[in-house]
Amino acid sequence: MMTAAGKWKAMTLGLVVVVVLLLPQVVKSSFAIDIFIRILLFSFIGVAWNLMGGYAKQLSLGHAAYFGLGAYTSTIMQIDFGISPWIGMIAGGIVAMLASLPIGWLCFRLRGPYFTIATIATAQALMLIFLKFRDLAWGAEGTTIPNLGSSPLMMQFETKASYYYVVLGLLALGLFITHRIEQSWMGYYLVAIGEDEDAAEAIGVNAPRIKRDIYMLSAFLTALAGTFYVQYIYFIDPATAFSFNISIEAALVSIVGGIGTLWGPVIGTVLLETTSALLQSWLGSTTGGIQLTVYALILMAVILWRPTGLMGLVTDAYQRHRHRKPAHA
Amino acid sequence: MLETIVQAVINGLLIGGIYALVSIGVTLIFGVVKIVNFAQGEFVMIGMYISFYLATQFGIDPILSLFVSMPVLFVIGVLVQHFLIRRVLGPNDMPQIFLTFALSLLLLNLSLMLFTANYRTVHTSYSDEALHLGGLYIPVAKLIAFVVAMALSGALWVFLHTTDLGKAMRAAAQNRDVATLMGINPNRVFAVAFGAALALAGAAGSLLMPFYSAYPFVGQVFVLMAFVAVVLGTLGNVIGALVASLMMGVAESLGIQFVGADSGLIVVFAMLLLTLAFKPNGLGGGRVR
Repeated sequence: MMTAAGKWKAMTLGLVVVVVLLLPQVVKSSFAIDIFIRILLFSFIGVAWNLMGGYAKQLSLGHAAYFGLGAYTSTIMQIDFGISPWIGMIAGGIVAMLASLPIGWLCFRLRGPYFTIATIATAQALMLIFLKFRDLAWGAEGTTIPNLGSSPLMMQFETKASYYYVVLGLLALGLFITHRIEQSWMGYYLVAIGEDEDAAEAIGVNAPRIKRDIYMLSAFLTALAGTFYVQYIYFIDPATAFSFNISIEAALVSIVGGIGTLWGPVIGTVLLETTSALLQSWLGSTTGGIQLTVYALILMAVILWRPTGLMGLVTDAYQRHRHRKPAHA
Repeated sequence: MLETIVQAVINGLLIGGIYALVSIGVTLIFGVVKIVNFAQGEFVMIGMYISFYLATQFGIDPILSLFVSMPVLFVIGVLVQHFLIRRVLGPNDMPQIFLTFALSLLLLNLSLMLFTANYRTVHTSYSDEALHLGGLYIPVAKLIAFVVAMALSGALWVFLHTTDLGKAMRAAAQNRDVATLMGINPNRVFAVAFGAALALAGAAGSLLMPFYSAYPFVGQVFVLMAFVAVVLGTLGNVIGALVASLMMGVAESLGIQFVGADSGLIVVFAMLLLTLAFKPNGLGGGRVR
């Protein structure tokens, strides 16, 4: 027998799922669907970041490295060898996973802010490699991805709605994995490491191994987003694929929404991307700097007044609600 | 060949002096306040714009505008420490990292809106002057910048080792709780440390102006160098940061000379990664934290 709270939760979730599934059938504006796709994509990247950054508090600002590796792996496989990006996507994830081993080996030697700096440096170094070595992949100019028209097997679709469902699937995968981890021993170990790494090790948590594993998973998922993104925009260059903004947004949406919570990255992305879309429609596209200025202000406000993010607001309200009628608890 | 190497080393040392001002600021804040200031580069940028506007509006020499940029940034530093940083001090890394990171993002994008992305330069009478020693070539503007940078670093060292306030700062860096028990007011010490670090960043900006362009992203170049130098020179160590900065300047310059014009950053990253791989405690030893 479900509790009343559980019933509400299930009903809300069901409603959200129905609305999200029907959305592209109802809304036909391609501008709006584009924004929905951005929201789903960055939610997914945020969910991938949150696994490591949120639960284990390993605050990476270098996830663009894996986004870029995923994007480049699938694109090189597609253009040079004609392999479908669906396979390339998985391959990109594996490449990112493998790359996270040496990168993690280096960066995990540092803790706190210096870990963050080391992750920035590795992502920038990867971007430089793709910029300099033209033989590797098109150098600084990048390349357009050949448009094959409607070709679902090559991850190319006629309607934006199809892309919407692909990235929705990715987000569902990310949320499902996060939910499973939250409920497993792994989740508790991650939170223990995030709270106090030394104390976690003292009670027998193998912190280096857990951090390595979660970094691999986080890198794998981020790479899937990279493949999807370049397939969606039909273009790749180092500045896009390894953009520092990807690293920033991955962390930002999680922190604003609620670090180390299942739905935090999604809520954070909805707020930030909606704000950004509104700003763009009010001020036009020639607004260099305004979007990130607003992001920075939101981030500062959250850190100073609401370090648990927007999810913290929701849980606080829920707790107050429960305290008012504790009879059934 | 030897002359080319000596010339590259000289070029490296000269720019390394500027890196040192930024790194010493980062390491001072890290040592005393125990946070990493991701926005340090943006304060160099603000120093540059102060000197740029003083030079173009009032005809003040960029080097002399040091006497404006340093106090202004000192005050900004005290305010930032008092109103922002003070509120997130504690055992939790996340708010500290992302508060200064948000500050960097904010200053960068505000200046993009205020000053546009255009490159701004100031031409002084000595911008194109150079000393010729044998076959060596020493640009006067860079030489002045280096000498002033070393003088300021020296002044900071004297301040930290001879004045009461300086000694209080070093005490707070070693053990904040014991320092507080000895009657040192940590908030005051932190505010001075933050102010002094930002004043050094402002000085770096003014000293750069005669030979370097100001633009909103300019700080990113210097802060990256500073982070690597601070890791290399052992976190929180002022002399270590100074020596490491000069080394990085030389390494970058040798890279540009012998590998290629735009290989400077690659050399920097290579140095960081090698340091992390083989000497994660920095060249001076000590604990990583």
